[in-house]
Amino acid sequence: MRLNKRNKKYIFEGFRYSTLTIWLVIVGFPLFWIVGTSFKPDAEWFAWPPVYWSETPTLSNYANVWMGKEELTVTQYAQSMQKPWKALGNSTLVALVSTSLSVFFGAILAYGVSRYQVLTEARMFQLLMLRMVPPIVIVAPLSLHYSTLGLLDTHLGLILVYFLTTLPYAVWMTKSFIDEIPMEIEQAAEILGASKWRTIWEVVLPLARSGLVATFLFILILTWSEYLLALLLSKTEVVTLPVELSKYEGSTEGRVYGRQAALAVGITIPLIIIGIFIRKHLARGFSFGMVRR
Amino acid sequence: MGSNNLAGTSVNSTREMTRARAIKRFKWITISPIVVIFLVVLMPALILQLYFSFFGWTVYLGSWWDAEFVGFEIFEEVLTDERLGWAVIRSLYFSFGSTVGCFLVGFGLALLMYRPFKGNAFYYIMFIIPMLTVPIVVAYTGEMLLYQNGPINGILSSLLGHDIKVSWLADADIALTTVMIMEIWNWTPFSFIIMIAGLASLPKEPQEAAQILGAGKFRVFFEIQLPLLRPVILLALILRFLEAMAEYPKIWSLFQGGPGSVTETIPVLIYLTTWNYFEISKGAAQSYVVMILMILIVLGAIWVLRREKTNLDQMYK
Repeated sequence: MRLNKRNKKYIFEGFRYSTLTIWLVIVGFPLFWIVGTSFKPDAEWFAWPPVYWSETPTLSNYANVWMGKEELTVTQYAQSMQKPWKALGNSTLVALVSTSLSVFFGAILAYGVSRYQVLTEARMFQLLMLRMVPPIVIVAPLSLHYSTLGLLDTHLGLILVYFLTTLPYAVWMTKSFIDEIPMEIEQAAEILGASKWRTIWEVVLPLARSGLVATFLFILILTWSEYLLALLLSKTEVVTLPVELSKYEGSTEGRVYGRQAALAVGITIPLIIIGIFIRKHLARGFSFGMVRR
Repeated sequence: MGSNNLAGTSVNSTREMTRARAIKRFKWITISPIVVIFLVVLMPALILQLYFSFFGWTVYLGSWWDAEFVGFEIFEEVLTDERLGWAVIRSLYFSFGSTVGCFLVGFGLALLMYRPFKGNAFYYIMFIIPMLTVPIVVAYTGEMLLYQNGPINGILSSLLGHDIKVSWLADADIALTTVMIMEIWNWTPFSFIIMIAGLASLPKEPQEAAQILGAGKFRVFFEIQLPLLRPVILLALILRFLEAMAEYPKIWSLFQGGPGSVTETIPVLIYLTTWNYFEISKGAAQSYVVMILMILIVLGAIWVLRREKTNLDQMYK
């Protein structure tokens, strides 16, 4: 029996939805699990068979992690270095400042490249080295160098390395947005007597606004979740959230899953909200000029 | 007339000169802050790294500036060290595996989703979430799912009807593959996003022409869509591969190189040498070897990407 067109379409639709749903489960189950664990009381963290849906959900993990309320739980966990609010402050400060610097300098450099070729194409690609050579190869002498400069364990120290390592993405992403702004608009502004900087500030950057916002948020995601540099260039003062999370272990009990989950959910939710907000721009930013429209 | 013309050209040339000067000034203003930060932050570190590779020093040996010059001794030691060789092999295996995994899944999903259908937006949002999850959170979530009494073994047990206790994280044969699966889960959205953008931007005309000429779906895919997608595919593979070579948070927070040394990739080895064994000079020499290796790889990648971009620029001129 030959399949007619209609049946073929149904088979394809069935195949599409079942495949997508399988991947949806693969993506969704870990997310479900970590959110679920954050509401589980201690006894259910390691239970066998595993507890999929807690009958006695509790907020004590959140209360413990974010408000330091130890009395809500039965067992005592080490709390000496656990300061999530301080880490949240550090992460926010470092990520916001380094991302702003990176996008600002990235955008004006991208403008220069787009309009005046201040960097040749070869230099633009060489810029990628800053990002693509793994940071581990430089971090040891960098921490020594930082300690002589007094930059070790300071916000400025982290901000400077994050600025350098995210700059390549900032330049490439903003360039793809600036390239699309017609030059005639700038020329019109210049004929009307605006200076170069005023043209950039009041014409070009506002026109590239959605692209700049997308770049900003994308780089914010990168710096917010960075781990290696944050771990090795900080000691006690500028501990960021990912490093804080990795320190979150009980002194005698080993891993404390519920607490880790409560902290992890708090760290991740802002990023997911941001990501959903900029999802339409992500593709163009990643495409490095390889996707033409 | 003649004198008018002359005056005109001289005005033009002075205008061009001021324009050239303005561009030059613009260039300085935009580039110099970056160069200054590079020279202040990274350059001294690179020089220190070179110093340590030639002057033998560990933290037990007094002040670092009094270290003794040993020539290429440390480099020789590092280059003949099997451990570094294995770390490079593991890193390459991990990066190739996770890159190919991310790409196949991401491309497959993109093929199913690049034409509008009902529920499109919902699936798209759900599918990009793993990329937005902090890598260290992915690591801990993976551990909660995969430890011996965890839900993955639980589900397998109830499906198969008897207790399954695979030790995903402690079994030396599968630990590196386990973390590779986490990496694939984490970064599939990256390939997915790039591929869906690439597919959506393909020109319709060649595909329609081929269909009119009687080409089937598969031929259109392999002979028209795939070649047109080559630049995007290479970009997705290269960026993911390079980022995977630097992967550290998952492997370190879950394994620290163990069990045994089966997850000892390049970043983990350099970390252990420097911060656990305090052999600063050895770590520095390892770093230089790895840096040169990575620069070669990146140069190769840049060569490929530039060639593709030049082709595209010519096509769309």
